[in-house]
Amino acid sequence: MKKHTLVVVAVAVALGMSGCSGTSNVAASGDSVDSVTIGSIHPLSGSLSGVGGLMNAGAKMAVADINEAGGIGSLGGATLVLNEGDSQGKAEIGQSEAQRLISEGAVALIGTYQSDVTQNVASVAERAKVPLVIDVAVDDKILEQGYSYSFRIQPDATSMGASGARSLIAMGEATGTEIDTVAYIHIEGAFGGSVFEAFKTEAEATGITVADEITYSGANFSDATTQVTQALASDPDVIVVTGYFPDNLLIAEAVNALKPDIKAVFGIASGAYDDNSFPAAAGEAASNILSANYHYSATSDRAADIRTRFEAANGESMETASMLSYQAVEVIAAALEESGSVDPEVLRDAISSLSLTDPLLEFNGPIEFDENGQNINATVVVMQVQDGAVEQVFPTEIATKEAILPAFSR
Amino acid sequence: MLTTERGRIVLGLFAITVLGIAAVYLFGGKDSNLVTQTVVTGLLLGGVYVLVSLGLTLIFGVLGIVNFAQGAMLAMAMYLVYFMVSSAGINPYLAVVLSAPIMFGFGWLVQSTLMNRLITDVGHSRPLLVTLGLSLLISNTLLMIFGGRPLNVPSPYAGSVQILGAIADVPRIIAFVGAVIVAGGLIVILRKSPVGLAIRAVAANGTGASLVGVNVKRIYAMTFGLGAASVGVAGGLLAPFTSLVPSAGDQFTTLAFVIVVLGGLGSVPGALVGGIFIGLLQTVGSLFLPGSGPLLLVFGMFVLVLFLRPQGLFGANK
Repeated sequence: MKKHTLVVVAVAVALGMSGCSGTSNVAASGDSVDSVTIGSIHPLSGSLSGVGGLMNAGAKMAVADINEAGGIGSLGGATLVLNEGDSQGKAEIGQSEAQRLISEGAVALIGTYQSDVTQNVASVAERAKVPLVIDVAVDDKILEQGYSYSFRIQPDATSMGASGARSLIAMGEATGTEIDTVAYIHIEGAFGGSVFEAFKTEAEATGITVADEITYSGANFSDATTQVTQALASDPDVIVVTGYFPDNLLIAEAVNALKPDIKAVFGIASGAYDDNSFPAAAGEAASNILSANYHYSATSDRAADIRTRFEAANGESMETASMLSYQAVEVIAAALEESGSVDPEVLRDAISSLSLTDPLLEFNGPIEFDENGQNINATVVVMQVQDGAVEQVFPTEIATKEAILPAFSR
Repeated sequence: MLTTERGRIVLGLFAITVLGIAAVYLFGGKDSNLVTQTVVTGLLLGGVYVLVSLGLTLIFGVLGIVNFAQGAMLAMAMYLVYFMVSSAGINPYLAVVLSAPIMFGFGWLVQSTLMNRLITDVGHSRPLLVTLGLSLLISNTLLMIFGGRPLNVPSPYAGSVQILGAIADVPRIIAFVGAVIVAGGLIVILRKSPVGLAIRAVAANGTGASLVGVNVKRIYAMTFGLGAASVGVAGGLLAPFTSLVPSAGDQFTTLAFVIVVLGGLGSVPGALVGGIFIGLLQTVGSLFLPGSGPLLLVFGMFVLVLFLRPQGLFGANK
């Protein structure tokens, strides 16, 4: 037995430390103006490979679109080259991939989907003085290090929690639905915790009681009935949920099984409730579930065109994360165009002073970064699953369907 | 039954569980409906754990192979069922019955072509590394074929029933019943059939068994096959309530090892009792501890049992 245990530990350690990258190396040099290399880092293998693959495909499509439209004009029509990195979902691998991509001549990086991986990549980018445009990564902390080379397009956790709370309150008022008490179920860790704290602060300031906070471990979660039953014990009007796809799906299914007398299930930064595969996966349980999240613009023709072509090319629906990767490449391309330089430091200044109109996401305005590198116009919109499809329902200017609230008639 | 050591352990564990649950009802300060719901959910979760652990305990207990491919094989079985359901449109539970012999064949093949070449070696590191490689191979093949986006197997019996005022999901009840049936089947095979006798003989003493004419390598292949078939049934029964991604099996692997060692290596009743106990402990624990807290409770209990009974609850005293 002792021998077994030793071997198990040894292998587990080796497994954690090893890892090889299976990406092809694209030769490129930053000095050439024939082509400009952008490095992308996403989880292309491991448990997050599904979304990582979509994001990589989104970035690839942006590069192809820009090249087809004539490349970077101010660099004499230089074409973009995407050098793909695989983080395998692990922070240390993401870090070494960032180093590899920079040493292979990337003038800017995009990535990475996970907050811990992004944190490590951001520190590499800072040291190498190469700009990093974060497509997806929610943790506030990433941009609180005083870094000057990291930029984030999506809203951070705190702003999502706070604007999620404001949206819920506003929707309650608009539909005449009384929302006094909520129970909050979220995944443990920095992501769930910081969204929850921001929500709580904002909600309690307007007189809503957060009656219960229930956390669960994302690593081992195969039944949400206990957590939902616990949340219902405080007799809430609304259950608010933050987490990833599998766990949030289980929560929706448990709510559907228990058929409680609540007015809504309201996801904030939920990995499931506005994903296009959620309605099919959850069936009846998905019906009328609300989700406050950043979202690809369902009202923009440009975004619609990109999504149609993406689906035709990849056979899969283009999710918001993938659109953000597309957008991140556009941000870098716009800065290259603006500066006419492939010097990463000049490029950084160009990104920092950029104002990119017609964003592909449902934001408040053009993409502009504050001194920390956060996009000041990033915001959430509220979506709802209606008739098996994810619809934008709030604010009303961007609504594709009218909100159904109370969401359940029980 | 009371006179045997095993009987006393079962009774003791049962008493501890009942007393624990009674204490939660009386002194837990929680609504009694909530506690009932938790106990029902915990039992059903225990059924899931039993299913996942049964194959592992055979492979670990008899062959001494630490099967790192357990999670990947579980995912493989889930995708097998998904493939049959989505392409041929058959009932997922019929697909489970069909996938078990396929997984048996897969297990047999792995053992007879790969593992049997290494198992005569001193030490267990080589077969272990092979299972590790196998796990990478399986999950990346699944990733290549099915992609990484979550898929789902719709259950024809989706819905829930009331048990003592608590809600129980029908596919999970089916999985629980399946766990008990598979465990019962394995016990009958091991205790009553000639193959089972040979398996037990090989587990007790491989050299001795081969001296009296048992084809040890064939029994190894048979055991790995049986283990894989159990994993096949587990994957199929879990598929209707799991988001199918190539790594879907991994979240169960650590706990399955805990349950197998807790119950005693190679002991099917041990996996049955251990799985249900861990499921209950984790779920009832989540009433009082947030986040990963219940897992802490599980591992604490694991350490305690290993301290008091290093061979596991039902393990043979070696």
